[in-house]
Amino acid sequence: MTQNEKAAAAKKRKHAIMIVLLVVLFILFIAPFILVLINVFKDQADITANPLALVGEHGFTTKNFPEAMEKMDFFNVFKNSLLITTLATILTIIVSAMASFVIVRNGKWKACSILFALMIASMVIPFQVLMVPLVSVYGGVFGILNSRLTLILMHTGFSVSMATFMFHGAIHSNIPLELEEAALIDGCSRWQTFWKIVFPLLKPTVATVAIIDAMAFWNDYLLPSLVLTDKEIYTIPIATQAFYGTYSTDIGLVMAALLLAMLPILILYLFLQKYIVAGVTAGAVKG
Amino acid sequence: MASLSLKHIEKIYPNGYHAVQDFNLEVEDKEFIIFVGPSGCGKSTTLRMIAGLEDISEGEFLIDGVKMNDVEPKDRDIAMVFQSYALYPHMTVRDNMGFALKLRNVPQKEIDEKVEEVAKILDLEKLLDRKPKALSGGQRQRVAMGRAIVRSPKVFLMDEPLSNLDAKLRVQMRTEISKLHDRLGTTIIYVTHDQTEAMTLGTRIVVMKDGIVQQINTPEHLYNKPCNLFVAGFIGSPQMNFMDAKVEVKGKDVKLHIGDNTLTLPADKAKVLIDGGYDGKTVVLGIRPEHFGDGRKADKENTIKAAIDVRELLGAEVFLYFDVDGKQCTARVNPDVDLAQGMEGTFSLDMDKIHLFDKETEKSLLYAE
Repeated sequence: MTQNEKAAAAKKRKHAIMIVLLVVLFILFIAPFILVLINVFKDQADITANPLALVGEHGFTTKNFPEAMEKMDFFNVFKNSLLITTLATILTIIVSAMASFVIVRNGKWKACSILFALMIASMVIPFQVLMVPLVSVYGGVFGILNSRLTLILMHTGFSVSMATFMFHGAIHSNIPLELEEAALIDGCSRWQTFWKIVFPLLKPTVATVAIIDAMAFWNDYLLPSLVLTDKEIYTIPIATQAFYGTYSTDIGLVMAALLLAMLPILILYLFLQKYIVAGVTAGAVKG
Repeated sequence: MASLSLKHIEKIYPNGYHAVQDFNLEVEDKEFIIFVGPSGCGKSTTLRMIAGLEDISEGEFLIDGVKMNDVEPKDRDIAMVFQSYALYPHMTVRDNMGFALKLRNVPQKEIDEKVEEVAKILDLEKLLDRKPKALSGGQRQRVAMGRAIVRSPKVFLMDEPLSNLDAKLRVQMRTEISKLHDRLGTTIIYVTHDQTEAMTLGTRIVVMKDGIVQQINTPEHLYNKPCNLFVAGFIGSPQMNFMDAKVEVKGKDVKLHIGDNTLTLPADKAKVLIDGGYDGKTVVLGIRPEHFGDGRKADKENTIKAAIDVRELLGAEVFLYFDVDGKQCTARVNPDVDLAQGMEGTFSLDMDKIHLFDKETEKSLLYAE
């Protein structure tokens, strides 16, 4: 075997190992989703009998969906989740994009660098440390818990640091100052410069922040469970509580609820995927 | 179109750096003014102060007699072409060019007409629906120019607009800009570090160094009558040759000794040195490369002997490099001068064209600004 052939064989082996690893990882990640998908069309007895069977003994059924939707008051909780996620995401994007623009373009101001450093520092504080004082202050002192607006503001507050950090990097490395100067000379005010020139150029970062935050807000269970107590304003993850009884749980209904909860965010992800990849790689290569 | 007035303009940064010092300039309507100088001389800073992108620390800046120091860039009625063109990447060429008009609420129909008209002048008609990333460097440069022209501003400011282009395109665009100035009849202020651009484009040139204006005049005047060593060395390519010369006064005659070579000054130049009391002192003699001649055919007076270090044939002319009293000199001669590398040359000096500078102050002894 020549040197070249040996190298080619080693390369092939390496490639094969990579493929195997990828397949294993893929299975690990996709398995729960597949389980949900195959069990959602079975009844409770079939799921208990054999959760891995593609079709149960009693055959294919879609009855889990209407029942789950009714039990969790799906349209209402979907509306709540959609409202909270959308508004919190938009608010996070607007606030953090504007904040990072001010921070980047006024880098010499001490106040800006101190604020930015504080924002970065706040990212390392775990939510669990804050949740008890959060509830006691907002509930006990201000009495503004159990409100969608409170949850929207809390979501925004907790996510704005990370988003500001991402926008900061994007503006710093991808938006030349000369573009803004050209806009100022062309007749833009500072406000117009941001909205007409800078913000449209942040599209990949906006998409990345949007998907990361929307996923986090949509799927979040802990914070809404602390803030929302009235059933009327429940979000989807909290509403799935309805299926977990003390003595028994209807897994079929849980699966249906989970699938219904997952679908919107999955569609959003697929729609924004190309922007996310662009957002992750933006600035890596100067083009 | 407009006249500009810069009176005692100063720029001092918060860290104390004095970028521009006592800058005075009156720009008349339709003038093509060039700011030229090496990197860090304050030329771009001055341009940015005119644009309103930098605050003026001291002094007064007026457009048509109206003080502009505290007026926002958008209200100065100026347009600027940036070195990097600064085209908006998310807009098409058409939108880029019409953006300023749109901000001023000009009716869309009028914007379209104006954009089409300017696109025709700049040969951009076929590119109007493309985005900047789909354009070549030269095309982007033209769009940047177009964006400025569409607005019909009082003043055009250009910050090294050709420096990102390759040599061939730069020459082509230089001609285009010159034609455009004639056609539009606008006041233009143009920043460059390229003295060829400065010489070919400007009606007047402002030469700057370390934030201080060295000389303001026409290209011909700066070339023929530089007021100090810096201007003499900066304007002209290859640059002027400088040699230390010891002055010897004998009655009304003045001789200059450069190493083993002796030159006799013409009467008018001799008088300047006698009146200035330069007898026995050292002055700097400056001579442009084209004012050297093949001295082998001339009489022995006013010649310099030197061995040729390098001969460069450029086609229509030849550069000869040689050393005189430790200073590298360049002569621009005809290709038929048969002096080759290693040969001993004799160069005649056109004594009417030489320049004399004070060695300490570096000021010209012949021409004051």
